[in-house]
Amino acid sequence: MTGEPRTTRFRLFGLALLVLGALVLAACGDDDDDTAASDGGADSEAGDDSGAAEGGGDFDVFALLPQGNDQPYGTTYLPPMEAMADELGINLTITNSQYDADKQASECETAVAAEPDLIILWPAVGDTVRPCLEAAKDAGIPVTVTNSDVNPEDQDLTEAYSGPDTYGQGVASGELMCELAGGDEIGIIMINGLTGNSTAIDREAGFEDTINEQCPNVTILARQPGNWNKDESQIAASEMITAVGAENIQGVYAADDTMVAGAIDALKARDIDPSELIITSIGNTFLGNPLVVSGELDGTVFQSSSWDGEHAVTVAYEVLTNDPDERLVEFMPSVKVTADNADDPSVAPEW
Amino acid sequence: MSDDQGLVLTSQRTDLIGRLRTTLARRTEGRALALLVVVAIGAWITEPVVFTSYDVTLGRIALIGLVALGLTAVILMGELDLSVASTLAVAGVVMASIDNLAIGILAALVVGLVIGAANAFFVVVVGINSFIATLGMLFFLRGLGFVLSDEQPVRLSNIEAGISFGKPLIGDFTPRMLIFIATFIAMQIFMTRVRVGREFYAVGGNRQAAYDAGIPVRRRIFTGFMISGIVAAGAGAINTLERTAADPTAGSTVLLSSFAAAIIGGILLTGGRGSVFGTLLGATSLGILQVALTLSAVQVDVQNIIIGFVLFVAVITDPNSLRAVVGSARSYLRARTAPQPQS
Repeated sequence: MTGEPRTTRFRLFGLALLVLGALVLAACGDDDDDTAASDGGADSEAGDDSGAAEGGGDFDVFALLPQGNDQPYGTTYLPPMEAMADELGINLTITNSQYDADKQASECETAVAAEPDLIILWPAVGDTVRPCLEAAKDAGIPVTVTNSDVNPEDQDLTEAYSGPDTYGQGVASGELMCELAGGDEIGIIMINGLTGNSTAIDREAGFEDTINEQCPNVTILARQPGNWNKDESQIAASEMITAVGAENIQGVYAADDTMVAGAIDALKARDIDPSELIITSIGNTFLGNPLVVSGELDGTVFQSSSWDGEHAVTVAYEVLTNDPDERLVEFMPSVKVTADNADDPSVAPEW
Repeated sequence: MSDDQGLVLTSQRTDLIGRLRTTLARRTEGRALALLVVVAIGAWITEPVVFTSYDVTLGRIALIGLVALGLTAVILMGELDLSVASTLAVAGVVMASIDNLAIGILAALVVGLVIGAANAFFVVVVGINSFIATLGMLFFLRGLGFVLSDEQPVRLSNIEAGISFGKPLIGDFTPRMLIFIATFIAMQIFMTRVRVGREFYAVGGNRQAAYDAGIPVRRRIFTGFMISGIVAAGAGAINTLERTAADPTAGSTVLLSSFAAAIIGGILLTGGRGSVFGTLLGATSLGILQVALTLSAVQVDVQNIIIGFVLFVAVITDPNSLRAVVGSARSYLRARTAPQPQS
């Protein structure tokens, strides 16, 4: 009658071995990165696999990001960031909260407990980061912000911001729309980013403020979130075309190139020639740039992921080494890309 | 010592060990405990900060575990509640939309109760499968959260109160941790000492037998869903206070984490087996693992692979699963080795 307990013991032992194996594998993966880093950090592939880059330098920095290799932008943002960190001797520990504010808050607590020299923060949701900033301040850890700035009332808790002027990008896309519309009365549909996301909110506000001020002849007939996703944007555009009627739509604004590609597919599915509409976007990505060249997308605004990733580190380094008196702000230039300059190497797409 | 006394002592010791073995074999938490020990040792070796900064780890455990505790009541009855994450988001938005903090918290909890009751209504009265009913509720609430919040995060009117709420109250324990511990104790007592709670097991184990035994099954299912709803809403209120704003997209990772905690804790998804203590163990393992992996800079994709692996191990080491696998393997081998009829 000892068979059952013995089997139970065997199962528990097996379970323990399996989990220990998993932990060892995880630890080995981490060791690989350390090895790569100690070899001079030249082996960027190992670093990419773990999401950590270690240059064996003097500074330990946590980068709390809401995306990583799970998003096209993050995929091309991380390698320049890690390369620059290696160059400047910064040991980076990178997290990815997948745009979950609660998860990022928990990662922030973990980062503060690890007592790094600095925290680089890309807010998942701008309105929710104040407690994280307060905790870092209490622990004496400086915080710099990348990609999406924190709210104005929270900026005094941070040392620097580098990244796109997200409101300015919306403004640039709105200016393109106004220029192309001339004085004609036109109706457009609007596809925004993930609801609640600060970049989505800023771009929408920048675009809307601009057309209200500069071209009130442009009317927003309908708006829906496309959640930064091509398929969801295609569905949203298709629904809006049905709702307002294809004959009433003379233009489309999408908050990024991925979503504008979805909107263009939705127009084509209704036998509407996108080149006959005024379509503007933001990004100038691998998806958007060819659409500009082909004439389906009239204009977009260049956002360089490599600039963003690199400057996140250089600005952090500036804070660590020079301790500036005032908050540093480095905006990415919002270059408008149309058919006239889409082939220019200076605006070659990166993501 | 005489031979007789020696024999009696040996016999008593054997009885004790036998009873302990039987208890261990019956309890579902054994695997979760073994897993926790291994995870804790691994974390201690690779990232001791997990334990030296135990308040951070406890915070993560409370974040994962609170919703999982409420969910346990539903799963034990053989039902599912996929709407917990959306309940968390909507409750947070409702709370932040009300200027008076106390009324806001109360309103959030009432919202949770109503959502739980609505879920139970669809399952019990309308007769919809709980997976489908709560999936529908998930989408409904997700949309409702966006509508109520005007598609933007809603900041608390009293931000300073929120920041204070996130700070330690007793020792290193923040209100979130204390509420989590209090919820665990309350749920543990309810499920083990209160008749209504114990009847959840009967409902999940054999529903027809529960009906035949005179247990008010429908009422129990209502109670279970309402517990799940109010606990999820409470978690939403806590998150909103700690972050000083309600995010309509909140809880995107909560649903899977809380189910994972319950499954790792040894709770059978078909109901009738498991415990609140098991869920606590599952949440603790998951929390320690997540903090250790974050500190080790393991990328989120790899973290998911490891957590998925742990989940897989937790499921396949279930005695029933193992028995099924071994039975299938034996049948396969027997079929392969059996002499083939000669033509």
